[in-house]
Amino acid sequence: MGKHHDVAVVGVGLSKHVSKRRDVNMPELVWEAVSACYEDAGLKPKDVDAFATGNMPAFEGVNLPEEWGAGHWGAYGKPVLRITTGGTTGGSVAHGGYYLVASGLYDTVMAIAFEKQSDGNQTFGLNTVALADAAAQFKMGVDPGFIAAFGGGAVGVAVYQASSYMKSSGCTTHHLDMVSALCRNNAALNPYSHLKQPGLTPEQVAETTLLQYPIRFGHVCPSTDGACAMLFTTPEKAKKLTDKPAYVLSVSSCSDEAALVGIAGSGTTNVDPCEQESCKIAAARAYELAGIKDPRNEFDLAEPYAPFAHQMLMFYERLLLCDEGEAPSILDSGSMNLDGELPVCPSGGVISTNAIGASAMERIAECAVQIMGKGGERQVNKEVHKAVAHGWGGAVNLNVVAVLADTPRG
Amino acid sequence: MDKEVAIVGYAQTPYVADFNESREMMVLQATRAVLENAGIKREELDTIVTANNDYLDGRTISNMRLVEPAGSWRKNESKVEMDGAFAMLYAVTRILSGDHDIALVLGESQASVYAGILPGIMMLDPTFDRQRWLLNEVSAAALQASAYMDASGVSEDQISGVAAKNLDNASRNPVAMRSIAGADAKKVKASRPLYSPITELMMAPQCDGACALVLASGKAAARFEKPVWIKGLGFAHDSYLTERPLDTMSSLKMAADSCYSQAGIEDASSQVDLAEVYERFAHEELMAYEALGFCEPMKGGAFFDSGATKMDGKLPVNASGGALGANVECAAGLARVIEAAMQIRGEAGDHQVQGVKTAVAHGQSGICAQENMVYVLGGE
Amino acid sequence: MEYKEVTTSIDGAWNFSKWEWKFESIALIGRTFEAMKEHKLLGNKCPDCGTVYFLPKPFCRCLGMPDEFVEVKDTGTITTYTVTGAWGYEGITEEEGAQGEPLIFAGVQFDGADTKVVCVVEDVEPEKVGVGMRVKLKWPDKLEGAITDLSRCTPL
Repeated sequence: MGKHHDVAVVGVGLSKHVSKRRDVNMPELVWEAVSACYEDAGLKPKDVDAFATGNMPAFEGVNLPEEWGAGHWGAYGKPVLRITTGGTTGGSVAHGGYYLVASGLYDTVMAIAFEKQSDGNQTFGLNTVALADAAAQFKMGVDPGFIAAFGGGAVGVAVYQASSYMKSSGCTTHHLDMVSALCRNNAALNPYSHLKQPGLTPEQVAETTLLQYPIRFGHVCPSTDGACAMLFTTPEKAKKLTDKPAYVLSVSSCSDEAALVGIAGSGTTNVDPCEQESCKIAAARAYELAGIKDPRNEFDLAEPYAPFAHQMLMFYERLLLCDEGEAPSILDSGSMNLDGELPVCPSGGVISTNAIGASAMERIAECAVQIMGKGGERQVNKEVHKAVAHGWGGAVNLNVVAVLADTPRG
Repeated sequence: MDKEVAIVGYAQTPYVADFNESREMMVLQATRAVLENAGIKREELDTIVTANNDYLDGRTISNMRLVEPAGSWRKNESKVEMDGAFAMLYAVTRILSGDHDIALVLGESQASVYAGILPGIMMLDPTFDRQRWLLNEVSAAALQASAYMDASGVSEDQISGVAAKNLDNASRNPVAMRSIAGADAKKVKASRPLYSPITELMMAPQCDGACALVLASGKAAARFEKPVWIKGLGFAHDSYLTERPLDTMSSLKMAADSCYSQAGIEDASSQVDLAEVYERFAHEELMAYEALGFCEPMKGGAFFDSGATKMDGKLPVNASGGALGANVECAAGLARVIEAAMQIRGEAGDHQVQGVKTAVAHGQSGICAQENMVYVLGGE
Repeated sequence: MEYKEVTTSIDGAWNFSKWEWKFESIALIGRTFEAMKEHKLLGNKCPDCGTVYFLPKPFCRCLGMPDEFVEVKDTGTITTYTVTGAWGYEGITEEEGAQGEPLIFAGVQFDGADTKVVCVVEDVEPEKVGVGMRVKLKWPDKLEGAITDLSRCTPL
C-alpha cells in the first residue's frame, strides 16, 4: 500500500441557492462558490495544484461542462478530474479531492460540484435515468402511462423505500412530518439554504398534498440551482492558513445493484430499497479507516443525505449510528435537534436544498464548517470533534460516506 | 514515482462497429477477461473506477448499470466521466492514498448506440457555439489542423502519411477495427473529404468496445508476474476551444513536462523506446511528437519523415495502429496505456517491438484535445 | 460595467432522442411470456452462485452469466408497496381525481425467485395491504404475451 497523506479542509464556498438563477449562467454560478471558497481559505487560483469537479449533466444539457467553464475557475494548465456518479456526485467529487491530496501527488486541491437545474426540466432530467428501460418496455408492448405510474422519477422509488422502511422500523407518517419540520427550521438559520420555513410544524407538513402514499409534498426536497466548492490541502499547509482546519479522516463508497422498478433486466427490484446494505458497508469501511470504533458515541454531528423525509431516519440507522428501527424514537427524544446529543443536518439537509450534483458535497462541507466553527446562526452549541457525512444516489443503489474530524488521522 | 503502482493485468474486447450485445454484456466480458489475465478473483478487488459518459450512453448515471458487469457489486466504486486514461489516474491516487491495494479500471462506450457527433456538439458553449451548428468535433479538428499546418509548414502528405502508417500497423493488431495493410499516403489523401484538410481516413473511427486493467500497489504487486510500473504521470487542462491557440498542444506539453520530471526523463527522444498516442485525427499525432518532446516544436513533420516513428524506427509511435485503428470514446486512451504495457511485457504478438523498456502512453479528452494525460511506464 | 446586471437568459432546446440501446433481457423476458401461455413462470439461474432472477437477467452480480431457465411459483410475498396519489409523469398533479382510483403497486418476490417484480395488488383495501402479505398472480383470461400479463396479484 502507498503511504497515506493526511488531508485537511481549509475552505468551503457556497453560492446562493434558489430554484431559478436566471441572473447567471452555469460557469458564473459556479464561480460564486469557487470565489467564496478561495476567499474563505485565503488562497488564490495559483495556489491550487489540481481540481475535481462534477454535476449531473442531463439537467443542464451540457456534456463535460468544465471544458466550457473550468478556465474561469482558475484551472488552466492543471489537472481537472471529472467525477460523476448521479445523486452521489458531490460526495464522489469531494472524495476525489481527498484522494488527490491523500495520494501525495498534489498538495492543494479544489473540489467543485454544482447543478443548475433550472436550465433543464427536472422531471425529464430524472427520467433520463430510466429512459432506456422505458424504451425497452415500450418495445415489449407496455403502455407508457403505466410505466410512468410504476416508476415516476425519484419519488417513485422513494415511496417503495418509505413503506418498507416504515414497516421494518415502526416509523409513522408523523415521524416523517417531524423530520421535515426539523430540517426546514434548521434551513431557516442557514443563509445558503433554499427552502427556509422558520416555525414550520409537523402538523403543517401533514396538511400538504399526498403525492403517493406515504410521501407528501412537504416530505420532498425542492429543485435548486446552486454550487459548492471545497479546498483540501496537506496538514502542514493548513496550519499556515488557519488555526482550526477540519480534517477528512476517511472516505468510502459502495455500489449495489440498481433497484429501479423497471423490468428491462439491467435494473429490476433486486434489492429491498430500504435495506441499503451498501450504506452499511460504506460506513463500516470508512469508520475502520478513520479508527472509529464506536460510531454511536464518537460522532458529534451527522449529515445524512435525505431528499425524502423517511431517509433521514433510515440512513441514520444505516450509518450505524443506532440499532435498526431505533431512529424514530431517537427523533422523538429530541437528540437530533440542533441542540441535541447528535444533531442531524444543521444545514437544513437535502430536504431543504437540493442542487443535485452539489448536494452530497454540501453534506461534507457542512461537517467541515461546523468543525471549523464557522456555522454562524446554525452552529451547533458544542464542540464538534467528529462528524459523518453521507451521500445517496443512482437507482437507490449508490452510497458514499466521509468521516471528518478536528484532528488528522495520524 | 518508483515502484509504487503497477499494471498487473489487462484486457481488451475486440473493437468493432457494432458489438451486437448490450453495453452491460460487453463490459462483463472485459471484466471477466481482465481478472483472468491478472489471475485474481472479483473478491480481491478493493476499488473500481469506470470511465463512461452519460451522453454516450444516453442515460444519466451511466455507471449505475455497470455495477454488476464491472464487478463492483457491494464494492467501492466510482466513475470518471472522461477517457479511461484519466480514470486510471483516479485509481492510482486511490492506491497511493494507502486506502486500497488492488484497483480495476475500465473504459467503454458503444458508438453503435449514440448518434455520431451529437455528444460532441453537447460539449460546446450552449449560449453561442452550439446555437450556430458550425462547430463540431470534426470541424474543430479541421481548424486545428489548418492552424498547425500554417504554423509548422506540415503538409497534407505528411498528415496522410501518419494515417497510412497507423492503418498499416493496425493490420497486425487483432483487436483493431479498421486497418489497411500496406496503406499509403495517396490513398488516405484521396479518401472522402470531411472538412478540409481532414479526409475520412485521417479521422479515428468511432466504434464499440471496452478495455480494462488491474492496478496494484507496490506491496501487492509482488505476487504478480511481470508488473509494469508507472514511473510518472502528468495531467493538464487547457482553455476552452475558442480561447486558446490551436496550433500547439500546450496542455499536452505541460502534462508531459510534469510526467517526465517524476519519471526522471530529461530527453524523451533518447530515453523513450516506444509511444502510444491517442490521435483522434492524424495531425494530432504530429503535434503530440512535439508536445511530448520527441522533436523540436514545429518539427513534427520532419521527425515523421525521418522514419523514427515507424515500427522499425528508433521511437515507434502507435505500433498498435493507435486510435486511427479503433477509437472507442472513453476507452481509446486507456487502450494506449494497455498497448504500451503489452509492449513492455513483450506480449504484443504481431505488432511487438523489440527491446521496449520505457514507454510513453497518452490519453486525451474533449474537443481538440482540451485535456491531456501522459504516463511513463517501465518494466522491472 | 457590472456584468451581472446585463446577463441575459436565452431559451434553447436540446435533443436526447438519438440513441439506440441494446438489451438481451427483452429476448429473455420474451421467453418468460411465451412460457406463461402454458401457465409457467420462468426465471433464470446463475450457474456460479445460484441466484434465481425473476424476471430473467443476462448477467449476475457475481460476474456469472445465468444460463438455465427455472420455474418459479405464482405465489409470492409483498416486500414493499405504495398507493398512487397526486404524482404523475409530468410531476405533481394538484387536480382532484386526475389520477383516477388509487392503485396499489407492490414489489412482489415470487416463491423460488431471489428478486422482485412490481405488480398491481387488487381486491384489497389500501389500508389492509402491507409488507409481508402473501399474494398470488391473477392469470389473465387472455394472455397478451407482454409484461401486462404479469401485472395483477390478489391476496392469498
